[in-house]
Amino acid sequence: MRVTRRRGHARIQLESVESGLLATLFDDLDGALQSLPDDDPVRQRLFPSAYRSDDEAAAEFRSLTEDSLRDVKTERLGECRAELPDGEGDVDLDDEGAQRWLTVLTDLRLAIGTRLDVSEDDDPAIDPSDPDAQLRAIYQWLTALQDSLVHAVMRG
Amino acid sequence: MPGTLSPPQTAGKTLPAEDVQTSVSPDRPWITIVWNDPINLMSYVTHVFMTVFGYPKSKAEKLMLDVHHRGRAVVSSGTRERMELDVNTLHGYGLWATLQKQD
Repeated sequence: MRVTRRRGHARIQLESVESGLLATLFDDLDGALQSLPDDDPVRQRLFPSAYRSDDEAAAEFRSLTEDSLRDVKTERLGECRAELPDGEGDVDLDDEGAQRWLTVLTDLRLAIGTRLDVSEDDDPAIDPSDPDAQLRAIYQWLTALQDSLVHAVMRG
Repeated sequence: MPGTLSPPQTAGKTLPAEDVQTSVSPDRPWITIVWNDPINLMSYVTHVFMTVFGYPKSKAEKLMLDVHHRGRAVVSSGTRERMELDVNTLHGYGLWATLQKQD
């Protein structure tokens, strides 16, 4: 994976295994957006409460916004999914596309990071005997991809 | 917020000297707060503050560092309706945002 910026466009270069991984992750996230129960921590993180100490206002806000927010997240996820190369290849993005990828990568990292219960003190070295070792490696790879894309966009 | 694999150079170790919170006044009685979380990247949060609020990079970075070091920052203030819009927008970007009446 490599992210470059040229003439106002960001380019994500993906190896075959990386395209396949992202396709799987995007599909998993799509399923999670549609089907996670209300009390699932991933759902609560993707659709956080807007009021910390007013349950009634929080419920009303949620009833007014959650469906449309889910639609937005689902639609942009589908657009990124459609842009993935089949195998090794590039994703070329204008500013709008790069913004969209940043938000979709955020949703992915929020979902996986919440599932892994990551903390700021986590050791970046992954213990191979950890049953979540593979998912942690994926999470770190997504972090690197997102950070590269943010910096490519901010360079302008 | 971790800088995880490639920590941004902007993540200074000291707190900014001045209070960089967005000022609040009686005619702007509601505030939007962004809370620290262990997943969103410092670089991304800064980028979102610049994109959503049009803040210059210096202000966006100071707010991001407030979130990171103090656990929260007030990022906007105004009417309740306006703050609900801001919170909804920030949720779209994946930030953990809430609104409340100013103390």
